[in-house]
Amino acid sequence: MSAAPEVVFAGTDGGAITDLAAYEAVGGLTALRRAREMTPEQIIAELDASSLRGRGGAFFPTGRKWSFVPKPDQNPRPHYLVVNADESEPGTFKDREIMLRVPFRFLEGCLIAARGIESQHVFVYIRGEYEHEWEILVSALEQLREAKLLGGVTIVLHRGAGAYICGEETALLESLEGRRGQPRTKPPFPAIAGLYASPTAVNNVESITTVTPIIEMGGAEYAKLGVEDSTGTRVFSLSGNVVRPGNYELPHGYPLRDLIHEVGGGIADGRTLKAVIPGGSSTPILTASEAEKVTLDFDSLSKAGSAIGSAAVIVLDDRCCMVQLGVRVSQFYEHESCGKCTPCRVGTRWLTHILQKIESGRGTHADLDLLLDVGDRINGTCLCPLGDSDAIAVASYVAKFREEFLQHIEEAGCPFHGASSLDGIVAPTDVHEAHVGPHEIHRPLEVVA
Amino acid sequence: MSDGVKVTIDDREIEVAKGTGLVETAEAAGIEIPVFCYEPRLGPAVGACRMCLVEVEGLPKLQAGCTLTAQDGMVVRTAATSKRAAEGQHGTLEFILVNHPLDCPVCDKGGECPLQDLTFRYGPGSTRMTFAKMTFDKPIPVSPLIALDRERCILCYRCTRFSSDVAEDDQLIARNRGAYSEIATFGEDPYRAPFSGNVIELCPVGALTSTQYRFEARPWEIQDVPTVCGLCPAGCNIRATTREGAVKRVQSRNHPEIDGGWLCDKGRFTYPHLRAEDRVGEPLQRGPLGLEPVAWDAALDRAEELLRGARGTIVTALSGSETNEIAYGLGVLLRRGLGAHSAVLDESTSAALDAFRAPLSTIGDAELVVIVGDDDVVDRAPAVDLWLRKARRGGAEIVTVGARGSVPAPVGGAADALRELTDPAHDLGKRLRASERAVLVWSGPGGGGGARLAEAAHKLGFDGKPGCAAFHLPATPNPRGVSEAWAAAADGDESDPEPIGLLVVSGDEAAGSPDVRALAEQAEAVIAITMFHSLAVGWADLVLPATASLEREGTSMNLEGRLQRLRRTVISPVPDELAWLSKLAARFDAELSPHAAVVFEELSERIYGGLRLEQLGEHAALPARAAYVAPEPSRAPGAEAAQRAEGHFVGTLRLLRYTPLFSGHQVERVAELQFQRPEEEIALSSGDAGRRGISTGDVVTVRSNGTSVELRARVDRKLVEGVARVADEHAADLHAEVEVVKA
Amino acid sequence: MSQTFYDDVQEMRARYPDPRSAVLPALQLAQERHDGWLPEAALREVADALDLTPAYCLSIASFYDMFHTEPVGRHSVEVCTNVSCAVSGAQQVLEALERELGIGVGETSGDGNVTLRAVECLGGCGWATVVAVDNRHHLHVRTADVPRIVKELGE
Repeated sequence: MSAAPEVVFAGTDGGAITDLAAYEAVGGLTALRRAREMTPEQIIAELDASSLRGRGGAFFPTGRKWSFVPKPDQNPRPHYLVVNADESEPGTFKDREIMLRVPFRFLEGCLIAARGIESQHVFVYIRGEYEHEWEILVSALEQLREAKLLGGVTIVLHRGAGAYICGEETALLESLEGRRGQPRTKPPFPAIAGLYASPTAVNNVESITTVTPIIEMGGAEYAKLGVEDSTGTRVFSLSGNVVRPGNYELPHGYPLRDLIHEVGGGIADGRTLKAVIPGGSSTPILTASEAEKVTLDFDSLSKAGSAIGSAAVIVLDDRCCMVQLGVRVSQFYEHESCGKCTPCRVGTRWLTHILQKIESGRGTHADLDLLLDVGDRINGTCLCPLGDSDAIAVASYVAKFREEFLQHIEEAGCPFHGASSLDGIVAPTDVHEAHVGPHEIHRPLEVVA
Repeated sequence: MSDGVKVTIDDREIEVAKGTGLVETAEAAGIEIPVFCYEPRLGPAVGACRMCLVEVEGLPKLQAGCTLTAQDGMVVRTAATSKRAAEGQHGTLEFILVNHPLDCPVCDKGGECPLQDLTFRYGPGSTRMTFAKMTFDKPIPVSPLIALDRERCILCYRCTRFSSDVAEDDQLIARNRGAYSEIATFGEDPYRAPFSGNVIELCPVGALTSTQYRFEARPWEIQDVPTVCGLCPAGCNIRATTREGAVKRVQSRNHPEIDGGWLCDKGRFTYPHLRAEDRVGEPLQRGPLGLEPVAWDAALDRAEELLRGARGTIVTALSGSETNEIAYGLGVLLRRGLGAHSAVLDESTSAALDAFRAPLSTIGDAELVVIVGDDDVVDRAPAVDLWLRKARRGGAEIVTVGARGSVPAPVGGAADALRELTDPAHDLGKRLRASERAVLVWSGPGGGGGARLAEAAHKLGFDGKPGCAAFHLPATPNPRGVSEAWAAAADGDESDPEPIGLLVVSGDEAAGSPDVRALAEQAEAVIAITMFHSLAVGWADLVLPATASLEREGTSMNLEGRLQRLRRTVISPVPDELAWLSKLAARFDAELSPHAAVVFEELSERIYGGLRLEQLGEHAALPARAAYVAPEPSRAPGAEAAQRAEGHFVGTLRLLRYTPLFSGHQVERVAELQFQRPEEEIALSSGDAGRRGISTGDVVTVRSNGTSVELRARVDRKLVEGVARVADEHAADLHAEVEVVKA
Repeated sequence: MSQTFYDDVQEMRARYPDPRSAVLPALQLAQERHDGWLPEAALREVADALDLTPAYCLSIASFYDMFHTEPVGRHSVEVCTNVSCAVSGAQQVLEALERELGIGVGETSGDGNVTLRAVECLGGCGWATVVAVDNRHHLHVRTADVPRIVKELGE
């Protein structure tokens, strides 16, 4: 593991750098000084050369995203940099560790990025549950302010309040504007009309943190790491049934099987690998044999019918019932649906109900067909990818583990007989549904006279 | 078209203007793209409901058609020619129907329901959903006017968007998230705002319904009659739904230049006053035992007697709510028949404003609007308030000059404010001069009914700039129409008879006016034409029943100067005014037709240039501007100043009376509207309240010479110092200067 | 609440180009000062401080999981039951907490001390099972840790 180069976590030696002087001692602020000698065009050119692609999940080239932001003479409205620290994709916990361990590298990246898009105003939208990480950032920001390093740029640390959908960039902007976190239709794109209808670049924490070493070492140098369509390193979040779950910074292109069996120590408790979700719950599941063959980069995972997503690898052993997985994952999307568009609002709940019916042993073959058809009607018709993700994830469990679904139907019950690792798991929607029962209806309307 | 774009929809080619939305483009080609949440008047399309899914060549996913604008060369396929689009739309309807209850048999929307219609056209015929539908308490009173049925709601968010983005009251909101989202108000608070009723028309299902219309009729039993609202000078176009000879509801008929399709709650919900318990159903004559019913012939005999007996000393008090024809008819009877030329009318609107005439929608496109006067626009002409909000959302600056203005001014200081604006050195004045899209509004009494406003507009160079306009908001619905029609009936000068032998009170606004009542006390006899018993009882010698504006054929002129046609929506329980006016006029050898259309012809020859009634059409046009003619100068220079602070004593406050929107004899008689009536309170500025140790909620005694009243205090941060503001109906006989002390 | 809440919110407003953006931090502060939840009075205070309507503030507060419009216990114990924590024994931890606290998931103890919830992914997947106690995250929680956690809740 120590052979893998560290870029994001360079200089930390496994620990955290929360003191400005300590950060400078390992070369911190070099990039900022260099960037302040560069023009915005030069900064963007460096990002282009690095081929850095968004680390949140969309994997969009960062330099190109910044180039979409109009110049001040083309659009006189203030420009904003908004950092998406709303990390809520199940399986993902790397932005948290980045903010915890390298807060200065992150904030330095904010300042460099702001210069790149000619912005004086940075907002960091950090999920409300990350209270400790927010405190770390507050302290780091204060140290930068006292050292007069902000260079006239305002950085506002804004806490979210618990909504996965606010990780979608336009929903994040709505939430930041003080509204309900519901996504917007695009166009207009945030680069043109984003925060407060002004030109805005929205970037992930890891992307912004990576900007710093890119400027330090040069984009071309960074592009030497990783593989062609996925340059550089990535902080992979490994979780589930492995011996050593955690965040690991590795170059793109790293074999998934090595992450699981070498870095991650293999499957715990002497169990066998059954399935892997490679990029957060929104990505199609891989069987064990598929997982053995892919490498952790955009191309390989796309060809395998899945995606690199948020680089969150969830490992599932043979104790895990795939139908229960479908229920739990669909419950997540149902709970997090913002409710704006019809297919997601209604469809996620309907998928959950059908899956629960199958899991309970009351399902029929027609229900399985219905499940896939409802999913088909959700996928591709929603306003944002949330609804699509539920349909895609569930469709992949059926596709890869169809026999297990059929067993539930034909055996009129879960073949794990209570021994599944997910058995009995209670989701927030389970609690909510218990309170939302049939209500007394037809109460006469009393008109105030 | 040089700036047209060519789009192909379902293999049909159509050319439309650049910037046209795709839904409208399809419509132009005779193709339907079904929608629920799409409503351009609510702002940019949100693409929420996914009903409008279409296939666009070159794009892999189905697109929300409502969010797209026609692009040159675009190729679109709707459900008609695309299986994918059809499946998408089918899917949307299936999802909507997953939780939608089978309420059609008991739902008011049935028969005029877009969900029914679109399901029939694009949706599933049966359900695959076998789980229990979500159920909620129903119906929930959003307010005494509006019932909410959450089970039917399809969460299209039209209602919440109206509340936040059009009316900007932010009272009707969405609560919770996802499948558990609900429409709600705050706690038990009702949706209390001037435009709340619009959500009923916006709702595409039976989730938000009118309590007044609940279970009243089915769409195949009703007749809709197009007319114009007669309750305020905006003259919003409406449609009255009638069943078996009674008005069952009032809806908007969307005149894009006047009301934009919106209607205020007063215009929408006040029609029940037509059947008020105390409505005068027959003539009443004062006898030894008080007012007693008499037959019409006897009543007209008595009227003739009173008129003849008082010849030469007759004064007419007009309401400003009469139709032009009724006002003309009164003029024919009284002026032509009796030489009684004297009339009083509270306020009219000066013809000098014709030089700055423009549709109200001009306000919505303005970049700068200056409003002078002490009355809130929403109390005088609610439609104007919505245009102002639209303007502000579009980036306009709205400046209010008055006792509650962004630029504070003393009570009655509107004319002075205008004078200052026309000073060449005045900053705001300079900006008004320079702008191509500036609007002036006078919202309050005085000012020569807009004469001062016209002078100011002229000095600021509004002439010839179509984007610049000036609007006077009078206190009554048709004052200009009434005063011009009255004037057109005959030639002859006014005198001011003293004493008054006979006062003819036309209409309930006049009957309810303290000034008119003061005249009535002086007069030897009074004839009152009124709708309600309680207004004229006690001081009229002869009461002749009046009709309501919904019962009248005729025309009226709104504050824009636009002539519009009223249609009789239901037959009134009492004869139309023209019917008995023509009989009475005949007794004095004055000829008057009982038919409104004929009267209009005669009137039109005199003052409307021979315009024919058919030319007014369903959505009347506003005539082009006239050249500026300077109005009569202010009769008493400094008369405005004299209105202010006479006999100001230390420690007293100037009493500012105002007439809230939800006041007046019609509103008082509608049970469901009582919750919108003004609170019994007095508003004080923060400074004045602070100095008197008064906080919001405290009971205070308000005293003036000889009278006092107890009211609850409210601190109004916008109110200028030295002023106390009370609704007219709560101010009783208080004088212009009052003392306010904590009770 | 007092004048200082209004002033605190004005300070928040000043940080944003559009004062509406301050609604989230204002609600967070109001909730902190109202025993961890937002009664109607709190929503009215936030509305007043930001020139918004109480209905609007309710619409915002009810959208997010971390705002509570019903009374809550003095302490909150939240167990993540999403996939990674679930396969690492989250349900067992939840059930142990239910037994130790004597309440069901979603309920508040009779003495008003604790509210126990199941929540979605807290972003600590590799350190499963994550339990948030008063928004401070306890990592690698096993059933054996439950008695200690409950004891530390104290009064």
